[in-house]
Amino acid sequence: MYDEYPSVKIRLRVDGKHYEVYVKPYERLVDVLRYKLGIVSVKEGCGRGECGSCVVLMNGELVPSCLILAIRANGSEITTVAGLAPEGKIHAVQKALLDVHAIQCGFCIPGVALAIKWLLDKNPNPSDEEIKEVLSGHYCRCGSYLRFIKAVKTASKYIREGRIYFDIKEVIS
Amino acid sequence: MVLIFRFNVYRPKDLDDALEILDREAPEVIPIAGGTDVLVLVREGVIRFKGLIDLWPLRRKLSFVRREDEFIRIGALTTINELGRSFLTSDVRYLGFHDLIHYFATPYIRNLATVGGNIATAHPLSDVAILLLTLNAEVKLMSAKGERWVPLENLYVGKRVLRKEPNELITEVRFREKPTNSSTSLLKFDRRKAHIMGYVVVATHAYMDHEVIKDVAIAFDSVGKPYPGRAKLVEEFLKGKPLTNDVLSKAVKEVLVKEMTRISDYRATSEYRLYLSGVLLKRSLLKVKERIQRGSLG
Repeated sequence: MYDEYPSVKIRLRVDGKHYEVYVKPYERLVDVLRYKLGIVSVKEGCGRGECGSCVVLMNGELVPSCLILAIRANGSEITTVAGLAPEGKIHAVQKALLDVHAIQCGFCIPGVALAIKWLLDKNPNPSDEEIKEVLSGHYCRCGSYLRFIKAVKTASKYIREGRIYFDIKEVIS
Repeated sequence: MVLIFRFNVYRPKDLDDALEILDREAPEVIPIAGGTDVLVLVREGVIRFKGLIDLWPLRRKLSFVRREDEFIRIGALTTINELGRSFLTSDVRYLGFHDLIHYFATPYIRNLATVGGNIATAHPLSDVAILLLTLNAEVKLMSAKGERWVPLENLYVGKRVLRKEPNELITEVRFREKPTNSSTSLLKFDRRKAHIMGYVVVATHAYMDHEVIKDVAIAFDSVGKPYPGRAKLVEEFLKGKPLTNDVLSKAVKEVLVKEMTRISDYRATSEYRLYLSGVLLKRSLLKVKERIQRGSLG
């Protein structure tokens, strides 16, 4: 019924780990991350680049993994929310989201955390307008938008104070 | 796997390789730039093809914004965020690009969506194309057999239909440097501020001598046809006139309605869209005037 196309081998570095994986040409990055590498912090929401749940940092740029064909990611460096901090630690962005109780159901949080990280990498002290613009592409159906803005400011403060990583035991008892 | 059919993907080594594949396989094989439109259409089952040519490997060559011999040249694979980081957003003549990048979809889409892709989409909401229309931009079409420049305006014949051969690829856009005392603006209106398609989109370029409009170009998401176009009658009416409230309201009430027809859909009625087009037309002209007078973002 369908034409079947041969798999192609691609190399990826995800959260510091090297992977070699066979992908079909029509597979998207989100499929490969979730179903082949088991990295399920990357959520698929709308699948059409509107909700922001599936975003990852690809070579440092924020991109929706549902609109990227996996073979395009060959040779690239991908960061998901799990790779923001080393083992046993959490990143200032994650700490800030916990601080302000921004997380209810949590489905959008991996995307939101990466968007905040991307914003703060470019601009360590963003204005309200800049924060709103970057978060405009992230749907949160629990409605935690105002807390996200607070979280960005808290994270920005941590990062400017040089407190990038927090020990996970200090945060969660 | 949620994509509803299977296809092959070609990864060209360079531009010649891409053009050669396109020449051999088009129209069964189509080019994909950022993919923010193509992959959505695939998911919705709107288009079908046997394969895609992934143009991303050509970015090193086709992603640029530069001044050259009286022209501003923009590579087709320049992303919207790259446009935002270029000199265009700080030059008062091209401040329309500043508006454009802030209105355009969301920040992560701006990292993927490209100038060439937005033009090739040929949709009423191709914001980049609407702005480029006011700058009298030309598009470079390349194929394995040669290349040609065509005015962007002549490229569109229908919604998602381009007047070009299937084996031709959009590789570059250029427009002539604009004179000092001119500026551009782009306005979009919707219920929200961000992440919008816009009920109405309007872009304006005007060249003014004090109060008098020497030259003006106005483009809407749709004037009478379902793709971006210029409001030629309004332009003719405004040329040589001072930008006063009288002239503006005449342009909207008497001239614009002669050439513009709008559609109704679930987002807005035609009456509302027509009314809004007039309001935004006035606002965009006043914004351009303010920018010229201030010499900066206004």
